[in-house]
Amino acid sequence: MTANPKLSTWAGILLLISLPAPILIIIGASFSDTSYIQFPPEGLSLRWYRDALFDPRWPRAFAISVGIAAVTAVIVTIVNFMAAYYTQRHAPKLATWLELAIFSPLFFPHAAMGVAMVALVAQFGLIGTAPGIVLAHLIVTLPFSYRPIHIALRSLDPDLVRAANVMGASEWRALKDIVIPMCRSGILTSLLFAGIISFDEATVTMFLIGPNISTLPVQIFSFVQDSATPVLAAISTISVLITFLAVVILDRVAGLAFFVRHDGA
Amino acid sequence: MTETQPASAAKALLLLPVLVLLGLFFVSVFQLFSNGFADADGWSLRYFRQILNRSDYQVIFARTILSSLTVALLSVALSYPIALLLWRLERWRNTLLIMVLVPWLVSLVVRTYGWLVLLGPKGVINGMLAWTGIIEQPLALMFNDLGIVIGLTHVLIPFAVISILSSLLAIESNLEEASGVLGASRFQTFRRIVLPLSLPGAFTALIVIFLASIGAIVTPIVLGGMSHQFVGSQIYQEVMYTFNLNKAAAWSICLLAISFLSLLLLKAIERRLIGTLE
Repeated sequence: MTANPKLSTWAGILLLISLPAPILIIIGASFSDTSYIQFPPEGLSLRWYRDALFDPRWPRAFAISVGIAAVTAVIVTIVNFMAAYYTQRHAPKLATWLELAIFSPLFFPHAAMGVAMVALVAQFGLIGTAPGIVLAHLIVTLPFSYRPIHIALRSLDPDLVRAANVMGASEWRALKDIVIPMCRSGILTSLLFAGIISFDEATVTMFLIGPNISTLPVQIFSFVQDSATPVLAAISTISVLITFLAVVILDRVAGLAFFVRHDGA
Repeated sequence: MTETQPASAAKALLLLPVLVLLGLFFVSVFQLFSNGFADADGWSLRYFRQILNRSDYQVIFARTILSSLTVALLSVALSYPIALLLWRLERWRNTLLIMVLVPWLVSLVVRTYGWLVLLGPKGVINGMLAWTGIIEQPLALMFNDLGIVIGLTHVLIPFAVISILSSLLAIESNLEEASGVLGASRFQTFRRIVLPLSLPGAFTALIVIFLASIGAIVTPIVLGGMSHQFVGSQIYQEVMYTFNLNKAAAWSICLLAISFLSLLLLKAIERRLIGTLE
């Protein structure tokens, strides 16, 4: 495969192009004017977008997903920032243990995570409520949001904080005027990354929905099992657009290098 | 920021929120285990016995493990050319990275739905093959193990690319140059330098993808249907249709046991393999 560099390059290009292919098919199909999914579409129309907009279930699921993603992202970022700041500045010996605990949900197969979350959320009587879904999303996003914050805090020059302290700044003042502004890109990465994961999560969330609440991906999943109407393609396209925008914003404000940074953290 | 200061008790409250979340996670794991080792009447190993003894369940287990192994190996093998491409094309790396990251982050429900449209009996692939006259009857591309493996591999490849690329980017570029200057062919350089140094990323990908695949629910249900079930499809049925949380928990504990064992096994293989290559 890699014996011949040209062959490997061509294989790489073909495979890379294939990654977004199913998504592009969906986007194409959403503009079709036939009632069954057909690609390439015969004629173009926006009727599936109109149908999605006028069926109250879709705007509602969309709003719920956006709300849950926003609340999850903000809370998990604050929680992780507090923890990472405290361990690095005051208790570095604790860091290894804390990280082990924070990363432990990653080794849980999703289906098992879903069942564990059902048990937990049910105990609080929160099945079928937004707080129940947020609780599960906080635990699922915890490890993903921790890393960018941890990296940002660690790459901060300690002399800056020391200088502020020498000049008489309190710890709170140094935190507010130096640490947080300098960790801005790490904090933004955490917000957007956790937000995207929450917005697109389905495997754990589908156990936690109820008659009055469903998220966008879970509702798409329950519709896919029944019928493959092009309304789903229109909804999916909107959800792809949101994810795409979040990645582009992430690229602009913080860069994407974080994702391929190798530091063992 | 490594400057440390003596901690005060009040500042330790900063740790409280994360400890609450982690505490809740451990409570949920505890509940998972106490649910799994019980039935409606109290402590019992009934569901484990069922899972291990029923032959239809053994088929589901075998399918989940074998398909996931295939998915993990395929994803890593197919990711290498993409990761190498991104590694070499420094100028385009960021743009091309978006092509990897967006498919990775788009909901797996949407990506699986895309494969449904592609692989279905009246889907795009069968449509094109019929139109060109290559086939007369539509090929069975889904509602079988093939569909599940195609869908899961595609869903999980982006993570493998990211993981392998991270390892590649940690290689000092002059190492590859030095190898060339010293007269090594490109293949020798790849085999002796690039491959061994990228192995940690490949192994991380192998483990993470295997775990993600054995725990998958959405892709096996949509592309495998109810005739080709995964452990995840079983768990979904137990929770959503028969409301048997005990049995779902027993299945989940079996998944956790497989994850733990495969983690140990792969770590041992990784240590050996990296030892021989160096």
